[in-house]
Amino acid sequence: MNDETVGVIGAGSWGTTLAKVLGENGRRTLLWTRRPELTREINETRKNEVYLPGVELPPNVEATHDLAKVSAGAQLLLLVVPSHGLRQIAFELGDHVSGEHVVVHATKGIEQESFKRMSEVLREETCVRKIGVLSGPNLARELALGQPTGTLIASRYDEVFRRCHAALHNGYFRVYWGEDVIGAEVGGAFKNIVSLASGIATGLGFGDNTRALLVTRGISEMARLGTSMGANIMTFAGMAGIGDVVATCFSSLSRNHQLGLRLARGETLASIQADMTMVAEGVKTSKAVYNYALRKGIDLPIVRAVYRVLYEDQSVGDAIRELMATPTGAEFLVSLPS
Amino acid sequence: MRPEHREGARDDAARRVAERHIAEAAELGEDYLEALLNDTLYHEQRRLERENPSDPKTRAELAFYANLRRELHRLHGFDLENALGRVTRRFADEIVGNFDERVYQLTTTVLPPALSVLLSAASPRQLLAGSVRQRLSEHIQIQGSIDHAKKLLDHGTLIVVPTHSSHLDSIVLGYAIFLMGMPPLLYGAGLNLFTNPLTSFFMHNLGAYRVDRKKSASLYKDVLKEYAVRSLELGYSNLFFPGGTRSRSGGLEQKLKKGLLGTGISAYVNNLKTGRAKPNLYVVPCTISYKLVLEAETLIDDYLKEVGKSRYIIEDDEFSKPRRVLKFLSNVISLDSRIVITFSAPLDIVGNRVDSEGRSIDARGRIVDPLSYVARDGQPVHDEQRDNQYTTELSDAIVSAFRRDNVVMSTHVVGHASMALLKLKNPELDLYRLLRTGGSLPSLEISELAEQVERVTTALRELKNGPRLGRELEQRDPRLIIDDALRYFGTYHTQPAAIRRGSRIVHQDRNLLLYYGNRLSPYELGRRLGSAYVQAA
Repeated sequence: MNDETVGVIGAGSWGTTLAKVLGENGRRTLLWTRRPELTREINETRKNEVYLPGVELPPNVEATHDLAKVSAGAQLLLLVVPSHGLRQIAFELGDHVSGEHVVVHATKGIEQESFKRMSEVLREETCVRKIGVLSGPNLARELALGQPTGTLIASRYDEVFRRCHAALHNGYFRVYWGEDVIGAEVGGAFKNIVSLASGIATGLGFGDNTRALLVTRGISEMARLGTSMGANIMTFAGMAGIGDVVATCFSSLSRNHQLGLRLARGETLASIQADMTMVAEGVKTSKAVYNYALRKGIDLPIVRAVYRVLYEDQSVGDAIRELMATPTGAEFLVSLPS
Repeated sequence: MRPEHREGARDDAARRVAERHIAEAAELGEDYLEALLNDTLYHEQRRLERENPSDPKTRAELAFYANLRRELHRLHGFDLENALGRVTRRFADEIVGNFDERVYQLTTTVLPPALSVLLSAASPRQLLAGSVRQRLSEHIQIQGSIDHAKKLLDHGTLIVVPTHSSHLDSIVLGYAIFLMGMPPLLYGAGLNLFTNPLTSFFMHNLGAYRVDRKKSASLYKDVLKEYAVRSLELGYSNLFFPGGTRSRSGGLEQKLKKGLLGTGISAYVNNLKTGRAKPNLYVVPCTISYKLVLEAETLIDDYLKEVGKSRYIIEDDEFSKPRRVLKFLSNVISLDSRIVITFSAPLDIVGNRVDSEGRSIDARGRIVDPLSYVARDGQPVHDEQRDNQYTTELSDAIVSAFRRDNVVMSTHVVGHASMALLKLKNPELDLYRLLRTGGSLPSLEISELAEQVERVTTALRELKNGPRLGRELEQRDPRLIIDDALRYFGTYHTQPAAIRRGSRIVHQDRNLLLYYGNRLSPYELGRRLGSAYVQAA
């Protein structure tokens, strides 16, 4: 089991980065791409110029656009696709997997209409039970350059962690384990909204105090939503909570942060999205979370503010003013486990 | 179980448990075995302190454990392992039932009339009339995936997992299984069923083995589970109540005990390893729905005494009083109260649906090889942590089946609606005070109650995933539904839950209203119906 081949499904910047880590760890890695041209490019040039420019992939990473080949060649699969595409890919994958497969997704989003978590979608579309989620402060580019960071593998199955740890953990990438799948998924999806809000604040010229306020209260909203869905509150103090929020809110590399920044500078959502090659998950997640919170009666002021800017044409200035006008109270509304 | 299998299964269960612990001790050291035996000693001696010391069986057990205690600290190596083997063997001996195929043949033909006599409280002379048996079968309605379940017997072994409200469940279900033409189910019955005069005959002679729920030692539970595993491997279909005990609140089981449920996966892996033909195990959830529950008064009383800390074992309830049982059963017959048993779609050991050929089907309709769930590099292996999680997934699937195939009856709807109305009228009272005092008014306007009943039935009809509605709820007039419920409430219980006086309904036993209403708790009616309706559970 210690040298098992790993499949990575999705060759965006994060999928390509994970393939690189696996390759450097000596694992034979099958990297699935949707487009045959990209398969050819990676296999011929060892590079994925659009999504991970300037980074060379090790020779044991083989690109393919054949899902059947990936699932026949690897029982450990990392699914790294945008949230809106995950159901379709999972459905296609479902024709090729068995109960012996382990599927770990690294998708930080939530399904729009149904508000289903990605692991729930996987459960509905495949026969796989050994499901996990990978989430943490993982800016693709930094990891691709070998800069130290860590991540969380959350799964109810110990085996999922053991196999992921054996494949991914190394001198610059620390892999931690947790059982709280819900918390890891909510944290990963929600941080994109906080990051977007933090980008707006930065764009408006606010400094570190403001961003710290947004980040702290953002994590508080994250925990409020997460615990209402059954998450363990401690997860939000870990890699997939604070860890990820801090990385994306203070980084100029984060897409969501970038998007917030440009919104604050007066660009419209449509024009920004038109020239972004990659998906800013926060745009969709904020809508899904906003609607869900409304339905369930959960108070999430930062989410509301982001939603109004994105979908109701509210100006960023008004949104910040409204946010600052919400009443304060006890800092913690959720009680800590005793 | 056939005698030749029974003794083998008993020996195998005792031996496997001992061997497993001995293997554990090989890793953890000999202290592990000594600690395990000490733990067993502790639990058994505590249990025996509360038993009657003049009972010869108790005396023998006390002597056995006193002896073990004396020698335990001196034992090492092979002697220690031997002592462990003696204890597991002792447990296995106690567990093994008396099932005999020939007796089953006899009992299924002779006993249903006898059961009918019990049920109808008729004179024994009616037994000879032969019509009684037919009458009984008229009162048990069996529906759902009957043929599907029967067909699966050609492909593997079944584990039937019903909801549990009453001690009558196992008898009623046992009889239903007979009516369906299926072989009997093996099941672990509490000792009280063996000592109760009404059921001891069935328990001794149908497929029951003994479960002593007073025995809390983990070693005992190990042997119990292993016996179930072994019986499944031998192809004996089993019955487990996955809730572990009768529902105290009246609610449907929402959390299941994983211990016995997990035996399916262990048996499956063992079957694969030994290359047994038809290795598959199938889980068949099933709901048993009563308009009135024999032990309702005791159960809800126990639930309310200390929510969450219910007595696990109740020995002095209605079931232990033959006259109550007879009264209950004669009401079942005379009121034409059907006991409805609904078999849900069968599942595999990880909770996938199964088709009538016994193949596992994933959520998108693809065929899945169940071996793949327990395989490592193609070979079947046990993995405790993995299998516990599979059992959790299976348990989730069973809970949704219960929710879907629960049959809601007039007493449940009227109980729920009455409690909601009472809460609405008395917002200042907490549940306990409301139950005790009944609030400001001793009765409810029938038109108001009818409105609530209408709301409940409409909401239930609109739900996508169950429940099923009882026959009397097919009619749309809520007043007729109320009348139907009142007819039942007025007949069996010590005091009617509610009675009609003119245009008002007097709520007399609110605990019972709560109990029957709780059957609807999984459907979150309070949340669905909003502020005009208060969650009764």
